[in-house]
Amino acid sequence: MPNWGMAVDLDRCTGCGACVTACHAENNISTVGAEQASRGRAKHWIRVERYWEGDFPDVSLKFRPVLCQQCDNAPCEPVCPTYASHHTQDGLNAQVYNRCIGTRYCANACPYNVRFFDFFNPSWDKPLHLQLNPDVSLREVGVMEKCTFCVQRIKAATIEAKATEQELKDGDLQTACAQACPSRALVFGDLNDPESDVSRLSRSPRGSKLLEDLGTKPKVTYLSKQA
Amino acid sequence: MKAVYGLYADGHAAQQAVNRLRAAGLGDAQITILSAQPMEDFEFGHIDKRSWMWWIACGGGLIGMATGFSLTWLTETSWPINVGGLPIYAWWPNLIIIFELTMLGAILATVTSLVASAGLGRSRGLYDPEVSDGAILVGVEDPAADKVGDFRQALESPSGARVKTI
Amino acid sequence: MTHPAHQQINRDLLRPLMQTSWRFYALVALPAALVVAGLVSWFTQMFFGFGISGIRWPIFWGFYVTNFVFWIGISHAGTLISAILRLVNAGWRRPVTRCAEVITVFALMIGAMFPIIHLGRPWLAFWLFPYPSERLIWPNFRSPLVWDFFAINTYLTGSLLFLYLPIIPDFAVARDHATGLRRRIYAALALGWRGTPRQWHRLETAMQIMAIAIIPVAVSVHTIVSFDFSMAPVPMWQTTIFGPYFVAGAIFSGIAALLLAMAALRKILHLEAYLHPVHFENLGKLLLVMALLWGYFVFNERLVTYYGNGPAEMAVFWRTQRESFAPLYWTMVICNFVLPLSLMGIKRFRTITGCVIASIGVVIGMWLERFLIIVPALGHKYLPYSYGIYRPQPVEIIITAATFGAMILLYALFSKLVPIISMWELKAGDHPPADLIPPATEEHPLGELRL
Repeated sequence: MPNWGMAVDLDRCTGCGACVTACHAENNISTVGAEQASRGRAKHWIRVERYWEGDFPDVSLKFRPVLCQQCDNAPCEPVCPTYASHHTQDGLNAQVYNRCIGTRYCANACPYNVRFFDFFNPSWDKPLHLQLNPDVSLREVGVMEKCTFCVQRIKAATIEAKATEQELKDGDLQTACAQACPSRALVFGDLNDPESDVSRLSRSPRGSKLLEDLGTKPKVTYLSKQA
Repeated sequence: MKAVYGLYADGHAAQQAVNRLRAAGLGDAQITILSAQPMEDFEFGHIDKRSWMWWIACGGGLIGMATGFSLTWLTETSWPINVGGLPIYAWWPNLIIIFELTMLGAILATVTSLVASAGLGRSRGLYDPEVSDGAILVGVEDPAADKVGDFRQALESPSGARVKTI
Repeated sequence: MTHPAHQQINRDLLRPLMQTSWRFYALVALPAALVVAGLVSWFTQMFFGFGISGIRWPIFWGFYVTNFVFWIGISHAGTLISAILRLVNAGWRRPVTRCAEVITVFALMIGAMFPIIHLGRPWLAFWLFPYPSERLIWPNFRSPLVWDFFAINTYLTGSLLFLYLPIIPDFAVARDHATGLRRRIYAALALGWRGTPRQWHRLETAMQIMAIAIIPVAVSVHTIVSFDFSMAPVPMWQTTIFGPYFVAGAIFSGIAALLLAMAALRKILHLEAYLHPVHFENLGKLLLVMALLWGYFVFNERLVTYYGNGPAEMAVFWRTQRESFAPLYWTMVICNFVLPLSLMGIKRFRTITGCVIASIGVVIGMWLERFLIIVPALGHKYLPYSYGIYRPQPVEIIITAATFGAMILLYALFSKLVPIISMWELKAGDHPPADLIPPATEEHPLGELRL
């Protein structure tokens, strides 16, 4: 059974935002417009957090892509009254849109603030409606959504591998953000495979987890910036 | 004749009437006493006191506890879903559900036994609207024809009695 | 204390049921309008989408959950007064119990609306109910929201029955004094009550069992509501003190609501002969005790956080005490602590007016307390990039106002249809006049009550 995880190399991240765009495209995430975004309704399943350090002219900039950490001890899971948020056997925190009644408790419980609520029914200006991904369902108003580690790609690759009776090799399967990242800062893979890229990077001495002391057991390892 | 009864202004007169009716050969079950408030200060107010209600409430609580335990155990173990690394049957949270259903069981059992034992919902029996204005009614329903005179005498004996027959 | 005689009690307490003046309609007009406005707002929210509220990332709970906790808190009035005072045989509770129980039932009903109002998809709220579905999925019993569902429903059932059972004898009296359709309705509600000793015993036993059962349920309800917060790893939420803190706060706000209801009833229904200043004084002393208890809990919570000095917790700590939420915070402290202590602590001010002023302060202060627990913490969790500011929108404000309107409306309707003071309990509280009890002798030291 695979255990999906990710490694993010903060040295390589340039803050370009390609991961954000790719995620929106892959997962049918609508943009909400300037006014709603200023009211805090944007739904960036992966976002690039930007922190300024120091005063002008000795300023430096830090980027940190934050996405759902697929925590093994996820605080968002026990609090969902309808099991819409639960843990799958391959280590993902699943969000079942059909089961969500929108109490938003999971979003409050998430210390990373990576859960988003659909405040309105999504809409795409023409011709953007033509680029919707048929593998991903559209979420109606009132449900929670978040990064799924591109579960549609995981499922498709798993089914394909089973059908052709071949093993899934490391690198066969990539999330949209990892695929789009130009500097290969984002690496996705199976943590149960000790030889996979993500496993090796997770064992790096530069590696740490975000808010690890809260006990959430996140599965995304951040490799600290050295320069 | 359906009933013979007397209306009394206070508990002492009512007690006298009850005592006289008992002397005339009636058992407590055959005497009807109605009042607009519980008459704890008088002996007749303590008729029919023994009740199983406390035991029924406890029984209801046990049924509720069993329901709570079954509901959580059967559903959580039949369809085990991992949430946040908690055990599939986690005692701490399930105790809350079990507790609530226990109390609900006790409450519902109490109310059901009240309705059943107090005969609520069945409109039958002797009644006079003057009872709600403070009069205490003491009477006999379906009296034996030959004893009606005795009963009337017993009921009329306390001062200020108003005896009626229907 | 003395009460008017039997028939006078019947006349006074049945009068609101039998007579209605234009003043009643004037009184309920504004609350009814507020309720209608609230319903319209809610349907607008369901139609246009939840986005018309002020909820936003990362503050996903705002006014609605504040109102939920607030009204469930108010519902603890009836339990304390009715059940606890009944169990300790405090005689002064008799005119007060039904007023309190009514507050409980209606506050619970209003509070219980909010878990539905604040849902993203409220039409699916029935999924919280455990029923065997085709999808083989049950509610998550490990979730605090499902505990809420069970606890609130148990408490609501218990409170409704606790309210209804002692009204049965009064419905019988109302039945005897009414005519026409009203008579038939009261007769149905009275369930054929006659007043035999057996019936009185069973009723009083049932009330005693219910009183013992409802107290732990009430404590559990607000503890479980507090678990909605303490089960999430949010700075200043994940604290073990929330359980007792919320229960104490609930009883506190409940007593304040009860004092306001009693003062209003006394004035509007001319119940001066039944609700004496001593009732207000006694409840005022309870309000004082609860204010001290509230202060104790707040001090505890804050001192421990202060010494812990965790960066995320201290950020939220200062946010309420010094920064953007400071005006609301200090208003809350004045309303919940300074005002009740000064008014209820000094005997001269423990009058009906003093009680009303202190209670209004407590109601405002407790609403602010719920708000200040929820919003500052959510807007300031662990990752600074995702801090946020909550701005309530008209739909939330209207619905909040509508709940107060709903409470007033429901209460007014109830006091018009049901005697608001328990007639039989009032009469049962009177002992036989002293001249009818023979003096004690050597043979019968207690004097003879029974002839």
